[in-house]
Amino acid sequence: MIEVQGLHKRYGGRVALDQVDFAVPEGEIFGFLGPNGAGKTTTIRILATLTPPDGGTATIGGVRVDRQPDAVRRLMGYMPDFFGVYDHLSVVEYLDFYASCYDVPAARRRRVAAELLELVDLADRGGDEVDSLSRGMKQRLCLARALVHEPRVLLLDEPASGLDPRARLEMQELIRELRRMGKTILISSHIVPEVEELCTWVGVIDAGRIVEIGPKADVLGRAAGRRRLRVELAGADDARAAEARRRVAAWPGVLAVEVGELGLEAQVEAGLAAHELLRDLVQAGFDVNAFAPVDAGLSDVFMRLTERDA
Amino acid sequence: MTTALRRLVVNPLILKDALARVRTWRAPAVIALYLGLLGVFAWEAFSTQLVGPQRPFGFAEVGSNVFTALALVQLALVCLVAPGVAAGAISGERERQTLDVLLVSCVPSFSIVWGKLVASVAFVLLLILSALPLFATVFLFGGVDGGQFVETQVLTVTTALAVAAVSLFLSALFRRTLAATVVAYGLTFAVTAASWYVGMMLLSSGHIRASQALLFANPIQAMLTVLHGPAAFGPRFGGAIAVVSGPGQAFAVMPAPAAAAGPAFQLWQMTVGIELALVVLGVAGTVLLLRERRVLGRRPD
Repeated sequence: MIEVQGLHKRYGGRVALDQVDFAVPEGEIFGFLGPNGAGKTTTIRILATLTPPDGGTATIGGVRVDRQPDAVRRLMGYMPDFFGVYDHLSVVEYLDFYASCYDVPAARRRRVAAELLELVDLADRGGDEVDSLSRGMKQRLCLARALVHEPRVLLLDEPASGLDPRARLEMQELIRELRRMGKTILISSHIVPEVEELCTWVGVIDAGRIVEIGPKADVLGRAAGRRRLRVELAGADDARAAEARRRVAAWPGVLAVEVGELGLEAQVEAGLAAHELLRDLVQAGFDVNAFAPVDAGLSDVFMRLTERDA
Repeated sequence: MTTALRRLVVNPLILKDALARVRTWRAPAVIALYLGLLGVFAWEAFSTQLVGPQRPFGFAEVGSNVFTALALVQLALVCLVAPGVAAGAISGERERQTLDVLLVSCVPSFSIVWGKLVASVAFVLLLILSALPLFATVFLFGGVDGGQFVETQVLTVTTALAVAAVSLFLSALFRRTLAATVVAYGLTFAVTAASWYVGMMLLSSGHIRASQALLFANPIQAMLTVLHGPAAFGPRFGGAIAVVSGPGQAFAVMPAPAAAAGPAFQLWQMTVGIELALVVLGVAGTVLLLRERRVLGRRPD
């Protein structure tokens, strides 16, 4: 539904996007992860027809965003990372205005507004001034605004930014509901747990380049290929800890070892026989308090792939 | 009705902006201030010329002079209000962070600009309409005919349109409303009051050609020639320049040089034509800025 190939964008001397390629299948929630300045917003703005690319192609529903922007605007709904609302307009008037901007017939606008307010749980606030709503309500209203023309694709730039935990959960549930309604959703975020909970596909962008992409399960599976082990030692002074570190680092299949407050943390190959390493440490006289794998979540993937920014 | 025509008439931005504007306390305050100032000027003009031991003018002259004063004050007030409402039209959307959302909607750039222009000028038109009863009092004295009245009002409206269109362009060009507003007021002042004053200075020092060049298409000058002078202007258009010799006094009018061959347009018609051309240029420039995303907005991360 969304396809990006060789996308390139430069601002002055700075390369914002460098040959970005990805595709989002229909009906998926695609989490676009990356640190600040990685190129997420630039990509979304190109898809939203707000920024022209310097090279490459981007299509939504098979329509090129640079060649047929009007057709693309009818296919997608866009929610920017920062957005404002109009003073002195009621919630219904706000939606009515945007519905008219998308040529929704006047006779249908009130019904569309009522249905959307029901969807985003603001049905009882229709007469209130938009400016009087809380941040979370404004965010949901902005999402409703992006839906007034029944788009097939939603581009949501940091949709949960600045929300309290409750509002964030409500927003996540709303996005899941939109997926159930058949929408294809691209969410940009730098909040890893949010993407991990919500998205079915994940793409990681760093310094303008896509560094990881695929269905979430595949991405996590690839991350599991380089799992981590935590080793906690009892009563080990600095010298003993250093000795243990050397011993673990020398073990075949161990890629790297760090010394933390609780003990050692080792990055190891997927095929490493952990029980043999544990037996070796015990036989060498180390009192091992804990020896356990660290779950390789999306956070690990993200940190590893973007570590030069850390 | 075709879609293009419908967008000119039924433009969502016009209704939205109008609603938002009239719901603030500023709208009635500006209308009250506008009418109050015009009323004070009318009262002052009438009392200067009608009250006192010696009444220097006949009724027709009083009517003409008061109408001139009112028309000029109205022009000045319109030039004060129009940049204020138009210079924030696009930059205000950007500052409010609503511009991107508007640009990804299906409203074409031209319709956005047209809607903003009409919404801005509609408020100025409301001011002009609300002042009509004041102008009507002048007709009790005579001295002004219907044609002059229509011409001055047309000139006022096109001046408002031109000022609003240029202000709108500045609003798209500058990131901040404050910068757009300051430049808009500066430009408006330069091409109206300042250029008229310098033109008068040049005229009084005998630099007629330079004066004519400077006063060409000046709305104040056009207004004065509608009410007090021969209506043509300049060597090609065979005209004259009206000079205000002092408060409450008659206008001295320079004799027109011999007209050259070619079509003769009245100065107010030339002014209206040039102002409408400015509207077209202002709108086209604003549309281009929006289309090309050359608005000086923030860069995304």
